[in-house]
Amino acid sequence: MLKSADGTLTAQSQPGGGLERWAERHLRYLMLAPTVSILLALTIFPSLYMFYAAVHRISPNPDLPWEFVGVGNFARLLSDAQFHVALRNTIVFTVVAVTVEFLLGLGLALLLDKYIRRLTFLKTVLMIPMMLPPIAVAITWKLIYEPQFGVLNEIMYRLGLPLQAWAGDVNLAMFSIIVADVWQWTPFIFLLMLAGLASLPVEPYEAAAIDGASSWRQFWDLTLPFLKPVIAIALLLRVMDALRLFDLVFILTGGGPADRTKVLSLYIYQVAYRFADPGYAAAISLFVLFVTIVFSTWFMKRMRLAD
Amino acid sequence: MATKTLHRRSRTREVLTRLSAYLAILVALILTLFPIYWIAANSFKFDIDIFAVPPEWLPRNPTLKHYEEAFIQRPFLRYALNSFLVAVGTTIVSVVFGTMAGYALARFNYPWQWRKQISFWILSTRMMPPIVSIIPLYLFFNYFEMLNTKSALVIAYTAFNLPFATWMMKSYFQDLPVELEEAAVVDGDTRWGAFLHVALPLARPGLAATAIFCLIISWNEFLLSLIITLTEQSQTLPIGIAGRVTQYNTYWGEISAAGFMACVPIVIFAFIVQKHLVRGLSLGAVKG
Repeated sequence: MLKSADGTLTAQSQPGGGLERWAERHLRYLMLAPTVSILLALTIFPSLYMFYAAVHRISPNPDLPWEFVGVGNFARLLSDAQFHVALRNTIVFTVVAVTVEFLLGLGLALLLDKYIRRLTFLKTVLMIPMMLPPIAVAITWKLIYEPQFGVLNEIMYRLGLPLQAWAGDVNLAMFSIIVADVWQWTPFIFLLMLAGLASLPVEPYEAAAIDGASSWRQFWDLTLPFLKPVIAIALLLRVMDALRLFDLVFILTGGGPADRTKVLSLYIYQVAYRFADPGYAAAISLFVLFVTIVFSTWFMKRMRLAD
Repeated sequence: MATKTLHRRSRTREVLTRLSAYLAILVALILTLFPIYWIAANSFKFDIDIFAVPPEWLPRNPTLKHYEEAFIQRPFLRYALNSFLVAVGTTIVSVVFGTMAGYALARFNYPWQWRKQISFWILSTRMMPPIVSIIPLYLFFNYFEMLNTKSALVIAYTAFNLPFATWMMKSYFQDLPVELEEAAVVDGDTRWGAFLHVALPLARPGLAATAIFCLIISWNEFLLSLIITLTEQSQTLPIGIAGRVTQYNTYWGEISAAGFMACVPIVIFAFIVQKHLVRGLSLGAVKG
């Protein structure tokens, strides 16, 4: 799937002015330069700046100087109970949501592959949720979860089950967030798995069928290993996205009730703006950045995705 | 395509599998479409019907009242315009530079394995969670008095659209045969000319798909806009919608109308790029 490039083209000497010839000779660098410099400015600079901010106490009053506190902000991470709650919630959300999406998406793809392969229109319809603005998704689910006049409680009522506050309930809030996320992102896994299944070679399955291998064995010994690269990419992208969850929580619960859905992104936002403590927020951000980089680098190297 | 299974399967079992597959498709369709239908339906109801118990499954008394409220009385048209301008600006910057970089990474060799290192680094910038960069970006835009401007949004969005465009275009250029460009160079074209006159026209479908994805990503973005924008001069559509969900009141009709309108262009775009969905959503890694 990831084809390595053939980059052996070299230009022969060309007529033209000195500058033109110079540009032609250094084309490989010139074409790359704008992107590299923009990204350097937009990522390396903020990261360095954040290190600087993280070792200071920054007053909300812009006229006051920053006060150097050394590793003080990082030390606070150890004792900050709210941070621990947010970290735990983020991990719970990421693990549960991505696992459910993966199992549902893969299961559906295996079940439907044969029937849906040529139905591009139908596939596109099923893909719509993940393209929609997360804010629109959030208000849609807010409407569905609404305790008084929401659809979900109407269904509960018809089924004779107790009505719930859903996103407003201490025990169901995280569940509600996860359901909305699963609704939006299962199609992503489904789509990628369908693409993976469509590219499976046919011969090994014929051989396996001749050998009388059960469909279960074929799945474990053939399908899953063949799908591994696609699964790796799908999971990596989903985990990265789940770690940055913000919009759904912001609209559906605001992190409540009782901090049950307070995730890291939301906590950083609150520390920076509501508690007006950007220095500490920078320290938490650096922690998140560190975890993200370590995880994604490890994962990409391991799965050889960076070719 | 569909390989005939060599071992014999009983007829009933096949019928059952087929039935369960169709059933699964049906359920998936209902679950996918109902929430979208529901927000659309509520946007056409009077407030009293939105609050009806049991819910009114079909709007009995359809009205455009909430569209008028949102887009004429309140500044949602302005928000939509801001969203559109920021999305277009971001897309132009990202696609122009991303295409050049993607081409360079697909075609040229660099000393010391730079090609691999730089590709990897560009990808890793895309992986950076936006929340991580909000504090420096905020302080930066504050310092240059750029808070609450659309340019600030374009700059911030470029940070994650540019890596995306680069990887997408790299993947499309790698699919093109290099021989055509070689032939152009042999015929006396420059290397840059071969890119401009040969590779670029061939990559046009990929270019269009990449641009549409950039438009979608920017149109949907919420967090950075929440931090950078303050007034309707630069606030985008998602911010406008979120602003009507307050502690005291949620303006259901209005946000349903605005939310549904925010979805419409996305759905149209989804159908335009349907052949490129897999590649776009996997950053060019999986070719659908």
